[in-house]
Amino acid sequence: MTSASKLTRPMAPSDEELVERFQKGESSAFDTLVHRWERKVQGAIYRLVGPGEDVRDLSQETLLKAYRGLGTFKKEARFSSWLYQIALNVCRDRMRRGRGKSYVSFDELSETGETGREAGPSALDLIEARDLSRQVAAAVATLPEEQREVVVLKEYQGLTFLEIAEALDVPLSTVKTRLYRGLGQLRQQLVRQGVRGGSPVPAPTS
Amino acid sequence: MDCDAFRDEIMDLLYGEAAPADARRLEEHQAACRACRDELSSFRRLRRDLASWRTPPDLGRARPRLSSARPYLAMAAALVLLGMTVGGLAVRGSELRYEQGRFAFRLGQARETSALSAALAAQEERHRREMEALRATVAGSSRSGDDMLRKVQQMIAESEARQATLVATGLTRLEEKTEARRQYDLAQVGAGLSYLDGKAGLQAARTTELMGHVLQASQKK
Repeated sequence: MTSASKLTRPMAPSDEELVERFQKGESSAFDTLVHRWERKVQGAIYRLVGPGEDVRDLSQETLLKAYRGLGTFKKEARFSSWLYQIALNVCRDRMRRGRGKSYVSFDELSETGETGREAGPSALDLIEARDLSRQVAAAVATLPEEQREVVVLKEYQGLTFLEIAEALDVPLSTVKTRLYRGLGQLRQQLVRQGVRGGSPVPAPTS
Repeated sequence: MDCDAFRDEIMDLLYGEAAPADARRLEEHQAACRACRDELSSFRRLRRDLASWRTPPDLGRARPRLSSARPYLAMAAALVLLGMTVGGLAVRGSELRYEQGRFAFRLGQARETSALSAALAAQEERHRREMEALRATVAGSSRSGDDMLRKVQQMIAESEARQATLVATGLTRLEEKTEARRQYDLAQVGAGLSYLDGKAGLQAARTTELMGHVLQASQKK
C-alpha cells in the first residue's frame, strides 16, 4: 500500500498490520493480503516468465510460499518486497527448469513486425497499438534476467527503488544501474524490431 | 563534466523519485549538456512505448489445484511406494492406475487364462484327431456290424464325456486359482494404499488447509 492510498482509505490496515494480525493467529488477515496482492503478483509473473507459462500456477505457488513463510516474516522488512522476492524466486526456478526455451515466439513477432508503416489509415493505428504491445513483450523477453526483473518491478509494478533493492537484496545503486542498462537495451532492441518511438534522437548526420 | 555521474539521477527523475536537491543539480547539468537532455527525453519516449504492454484481462485468479501444491517429499515417497506396488502387480500382469482421482486396477489373469485355454484347446484337438482316426478305422473295417458300431459309439460318447469333464475341471481350477490371486492382489493393493494413506495423509491435510485459505481468499475478491 502506498502512502497515498492509505490517505484515501484510512480504515484499510497496512500490509504490516495485517502480517502482525496473522502472526497473532488471525488467519483471515492473510485473505486480505491475498485480495490486495494477487493481481499484482500475477502481473509481475506474467511479465517475468512470458505468456507461455502457467501464470496462475506460479502465482498460486508464490501465495502458498508466502502463507507458509508468513509466520516467521520479520517485521523490519516490507511485505511487498518480501512477497515479490518470493515471486522472483518462483519465476527464476521455473525459468531454470525451462532453460533454452524461448518464451516469446519470434515467429509470431516477425509476422507482424513490419506491417505497413508507410501507410496511415486510422485502422492501422489500432493494429500498430496491438502490435507495439507484442513488440514490447518480445523486447523485454530479450533482456538478461537481472535487468528484466528490475524493469518489470519498476516500470510495470511501480515499486520504489528501495523496495526493489529489498526484494532483490542488492544495493540501491545496483538497482539503478540495472534499470539504466535494461532501458538502454530495450531502446536498442525496439529499434532493431522496427519500433520508432523508442529510438534515440538521431545524431546529426554529416 | 562526467555524464555517467548523473545516471542514477536520470533514473530518479524519470520515475519521479529524485530528491529536490538532486533534481535541481541534474537540471543545471542538462541546461549545459545536450546528451543528458536527449537521454532523458529518449527514455521518456521509451516509457510511453513500454506502457503499451498490458496484461491480458483473462489472466484471472489463481485456481488452487492440489496437484500444484507439490508436497514434494510425501509425493516422492508415495510415488516410490506406488511404483513398487505397481511393479509387483505388473510382474503378474496386473495393472494399477491412478485415474480421475481414484485408483483403478486390473488383475493379471489374462496371460494365465490364455495359457490354460491353449492347453485345453490342444488337448481337445488331440482327442478330436484320435476320434477321427478311430472312425476312419471303423469305417474302413470289413467286420462292420451293429454290435461293433454300438461299441464304437459308446466309446466315442465316453471319450466325449471324459473330455467335457476335463474341460469343466480345468475351468473350475482356473476359477479357484483366479479367485485366490484376486484375493492376494486385493490384499496387496489394500496394504499399499493404506501405507500411502498414512504417509501422505498428514501432508495432504496440511496442503488442503493451505489451498482452502488461498481459494477462500481468491473467491472473496
